[in-house]
Amino acid sequence: MLAPHVIEIDEDLNMNYKHFSPLSRRAFLGTGAGFALTASAPAWPARGSDIREFRIVAGHGRARLVGGRHPETAVWAYNGTVPGPEIRARQGERLRVAVENRLDEETTVHWHGVRVPNAMDGVPHLTQKPIAPGETFVYEFDVPDAGTYWYHPHQRGSEQVGRGLSGPLIVEERTAIQVDRDIVWVLDDWRLLEDAQISPDFGNMMDASHNGRVGNTVTVNGRIPETFAVRSGERIRLRLINTANARIFGLEFAGHRPLVVAYDGQPVESHEPKGGRVVLGPAMRADVLLDMTGKPGDRFGVTDTFYDGLAYRLLDFVYEQEPLRQRPLDTPVALAANTMPEPNLKAAERHEVTFGGGMMGGMMGGGMMGGGMMGGGMMGGGMMGGMMGGGRIDPRGMMHNGIWTINGVSATGHVHDPFLNLKLGGSSVLVLHNNTAWHHPIHLHGHSFRVIGRNGNPTRYREWQDTVLLAPRERAEIAFVADNPGDWMFHCHILEHQAAGMMGVIRVI
Amino acid sequence: MIRTVLAAMFALAVAPPFASAGEKPPVALYKNPQCDCCEGYADYLRQNGYKVTVKPTHDLSLINRQHGVPEHLEGCHTTLIGGYVVEGHVPVKSLDRLLTERPAIKGISLPGMPQGSPGMTGRKSEPFTIYELSRGTPRVYAVE
Repeated sequence: MLAPHVIEIDEDLNMNYKHFSPLSRRAFLGTGAGFALTASAPAWPARGSDIREFRIVAGHGRARLVGGRHPETAVWAYNGTVPGPEIRARQGERLRVAVENRLDEETTVHWHGVRVPNAMDGVPHLTQKPIAPGETFVYEFDVPDAGTYWYHPHQRGSEQVGRGLSGPLIVEERTAIQVDRDIVWVLDDWRLLEDAQISPDFGNMMDASHNGRVGNTVTVNGRIPETFAVRSGERIRLRLINTANARIFGLEFAGHRPLVVAYDGQPVESHEPKGGRVVLGPAMRADVLLDMTGKPGDRFGVTDTFYDGLAYRLLDFVYEQEPLRQRPLDTPVALAANTMPEPNLKAAERHEVTFGGGMMGGMMGGGMMGGGMMGGGMMGGGMMGGMMGGGRIDPRGMMHNGIWTINGVSATGHVHDPFLNLKLGGSSVLVLHNNTAWHHPIHLHGHSFRVIGRNGNPTRYREWQDTVLLAPRERAEIAFVADNPGDWMFHCHILEHQAAGMMGVIRVI
Repeated sequence: MIRTVLAAMFALAVAPPFASAGEKPPVALYKNPQCDCCEGYADYLRQNGYKVTVKPTHDLSLINRQHGVPEHLEGCHTTLIGGYVVEGHVPVKSLDRLLTERPAIKGISLPGMPQGSPGMTGRKSEPFTIYELSRGTPRVYAVE
């Protein structure tokens, strides 16, 4: 009998300050990264007068994900790094990003959470022709809101994102709050084999019908860190970005009180999350202020406790010998509001949106996987047709259609008739019903929305999000002004759920 | 330092010997951490005299590949017992027979989650067809 396999990490990957300063991260951009910003500009530049230019190349690379005696991992990467280069701008600036495709297949880039014009949204066929191998597409858009965002492909997302294509996009406030360090943690999750290579089992039925491709290796900024050096008295703004295909994180900071100041880039009344645990579904972000209240030499674990029985230590905060200051800062922590239009709830249209399907859907009849086991339709009001008789599997074996539904429809591809038509400028409340046994982080393109209710109760913070995590059987109400014209994707950001049908289009016209 | 990396994916290569005739071998049941019907199946096995260790894992897809379980014969959980792979909610009658007769196959499977099968809710509406896991075309092991 073989022992359970674990990879042992014998390297101390101490992530020190230098790796994470904004300046050094810009250096990641490598050749082709230009900054047109006139550094001497005395005042805030007018929108459009100032363009920050970046060039990112989607291609093949190798990354030292695991470290130690293990080989590098073959990845798909932007500019050869995992995560991709940080794109950083200031609120109100204009970004111009040339994306060159050196993959062997088409791709696009979606600027997750940034309220871009529809043509810049990066959804293949719906908003643009996909970027063919060898081609370059130039995205250009203003960044109206400060906050923590990210970018990733929207073409065959499960595999393209799962193999490493994603990167942080940070928009700085015009007036920042006082912190000692502004740190980005790109959280990612990989399914690796014993040789540290990515398991090629993309698109399998198990992942598609359960909770997606949750992997076995978690990285922070592309490494498996052991420790993170901190100093007594310092205040850290920790920007957490969940770029995983499917893993939900529930981070606990032993000995510390994380103060959430933004979700999905959008400021929120500062608060400690329930149970001190910061929960992030795929694609979600949180800006967390941490006052380092420990003493020199202290060591505290950051653990991910989301999945029962599978908690693990992400890394340890290790206090350096030199304190930064004796008492924590008492400066204000509230971020300046963004430019979101406030929905008019009294005049808002209400729409019901129901998510269905998946394993344990509640009415499972017969078996689910093929082989002639099956009779009729079944499975929790959603698991129909496609699951049966071995599933209707896409020729490349990448998709199991028909597992998940929105309002009873299981979508394929990115172009569909809209399931909702919203009047430009009007306010809407969408009542989201998760009629499944699984979590779903539901993402709306082109807009942010307030989460105003959960299971019939008003939310305390009425937080702005672009991705709302629905627990099994949960109902959430979201409200927003449909102020961005175009056809917008609305989908589960567990990328295997999306590929298996949990997506739709909302038209704003 | 041991990290979360590549947790428990593997693997019974050889059947462990039985301590004595009639004693049931220990059961390791690998399941999705968020799936509760698998717990129902574990309870069912315990009620039938098996000692069950439930192991939540995100690696079910890998475990199935490791054991050569074809996708259409996957269950939602994987049980390793006496050197065999048992997929899904297989009734104990077939399980006992497998462990008694010890045929030269990798294991057996009741694919999917049929209503009324052990650990599942609902009423049985049709016979359960249990397949052999072996090389080549899957054959029916039992119909219960």
